[in-house]
Amino acid sequence: MRIQVSRTGGFAGIERRAEVDTSGRPDAHEWHALAERAVAAGRGVASVGVPDGFSYEITVDGRTVYAADPRLTEEQRTLISRVMKEGA
Amino acid sequence: MTTHGGFEPVFCTVVPPHVLDRLARNDNPALSGPARRTILRDSELRALRQVNTEYGLLAAPTAKAPSDQPLRTIYDAEHGTSLPGTKVRAEGQDPGRDATVNRAYSGLGATFDLYLKAYRRHSIDGDGLALDATVHYDEGYNNAFWNGEQMVFGDGDGEIFVDFTNSIDVIGHELTHGVTQYTANLTYNGQPGALNESMSDVFGSLIKQYSLGQTAAEADWLIGAGLLAPDVTGTALRSMKAPGTAYDDDVLGKDPQPATMDEYVRTGRDNGGVHINSGIPNHAFYLAATALGGYAWEKAGQIWYDVLTGGELSERAFFTDFAKLTVQAARERFGSGGEELQAVEKAWEQVGVRIL
Repeated sequence: MRIQVSRTGGFAGIERRAEVDTSGRPDAHEWHALAERAVAAGRGVASVGVPDGFSYEITVDGRTVYAADPRLTEEQRTLISRVMKEGA
Repeated sequence: MTTHGGFEPVFCTVVPPHVLDRLARNDNPALSGPARRTILRDSELRALRQVNTEYGLLAAPTAKAPSDQPLRTIYDAEHGTSLPGTKVRAEGQDPGRDATVNRAYSGLGATFDLYLKAYRRHSIDGDGLALDATVHYDEGYNNAFWNGEQMVFGDGDGEIFVDFTNSIDVIGHELTHGVTQYTANLTYNGQPGALNESMSDVFGSLIKQYSLGQTAAEADWLIGAGLLAPDVTGTALRSMKAPGTAYDDDVLGKDPQPATMDEYVRTGRDNGGVHINSGIPNHAFYLAATALGGYAWEKAGQIWYDVLTGGELSERAFFTDFAKLTVQAARERFGSGGEELQAVEKAWEQVGVRIL
C-alpha cells in the first residue's frame, strides 16, 4: 500500500509532502487499518478551511481524500503525523 | 451600537419605558437626545436578541458600551488537540512561569491596544469580544491559526519553527483574521483570500510597530521574525518591504512571494496562493506607508482600516477593487490635494495594480 500525504497552507504557506510504502514492512497491517479509517473519514473535494489552517491531501493507492485543521479525526491526525515523520 | 466612551447618560433598563417616551418628546435636546438614543438602542437590541434566539446564534448582548479593557483568557492544550484546553491565565492575573502563556497574553493585549487607541475599535468584533487563545497545541505543531472563535498556537518542532507566540506580529496576524471575519469577511481563496492574508500581515506588522513605538522608516516590515529555528537560512516568513526575500533554505525552499502583478502566482494550492500573492498588496501598503513617513498606523493604516471596515469592500473583492477603495478612502479622510492620496495611488501603480 502506498500512502501519500501533502500538506499546504498554514501561517507560513509552505508545502510539505511525504509518502510511505508499506509493502514488506512488519507493521503493514497496522498502517493499512489506520489508512483505511483515515480515508473513510475524508472528504471527496477540497474545502476552504480556517484562516492559516493546514489543508491535507491523503492519497492511498491512488484514491485521494481531503481534510483540514482543526477538524481532523484522530486516525487522520495520527496517519498524517506518522507519514510526515517516517515517510520520505 | 455607537461607542461613546461611557460619557453619555445611559437609561437602559433603569428608566421605565413611559418615562423614556416622555423624555424623548421633550423640547430640551439634552434630555430628548439621550432618551431617543436609548429607545433606538433598546429596539436594536431587542431585534438582535430576537434574531439570536430564533437562530440560536449568540448569547444575548449586554446593553452597556464595550469596555476599554481587553478580556483575555489563555488556555493550555497540553500538547493535545482539543480546544480550548485547560484555562491557565485569566484577565488581570499576574504572569505565571510559562513564558508562552505570558507572551500570548501580552500579544493579545498589544493587539487590543492598537485597534482601540489607533482606530477606536473595541476588540475583534468592535463590541468587546473576549479574546481567547490556546497555546501548546499538539506536539511540535508548526502552525498558528484562527478557528473562527479563538487563536491557536503550536510550539513549533524546533527544527524549522520555534514557538509561534515568539512573534507579536503573528499574534496580531491571527486576531486580525477575526477582525476581517467580523467586517469585510473576505473569502479565503484566490485574490480575496490574498487580501484577507494581507490585512492580517498589515495590521500584524502595525501592532508590532505600535508596541515598539517605531516609525515606518524604523520598522523591519517582517512577518514572523524570530519564528525560524536557528539552523534555517532566513530572517522571517515574509517581508513586506521586499517580498520574496524572507528566506532561502535547503529544507524550506525559497520565499515564493511576488512584489508586483507581473510575478502574480497562479496556483490551486494554498487556497489559490493566499500566502503567496498577499505579497503584492503587502508591498503596496509598505510603499504607501514609507512614502508618507511617521507612524504607519496613523495615515496608511487608517486608510486601510477604513476600507476593511467601511462596508463597501465586497467579500469577493480583487486587488483592483481594494485599491480603488483605498484611493477613495484617502480622499475622504485626508482630502483630494493631500500627499496621502498621491502616496496611495503611486503605491498601487508601483506594484502593477491598475485602478479602473
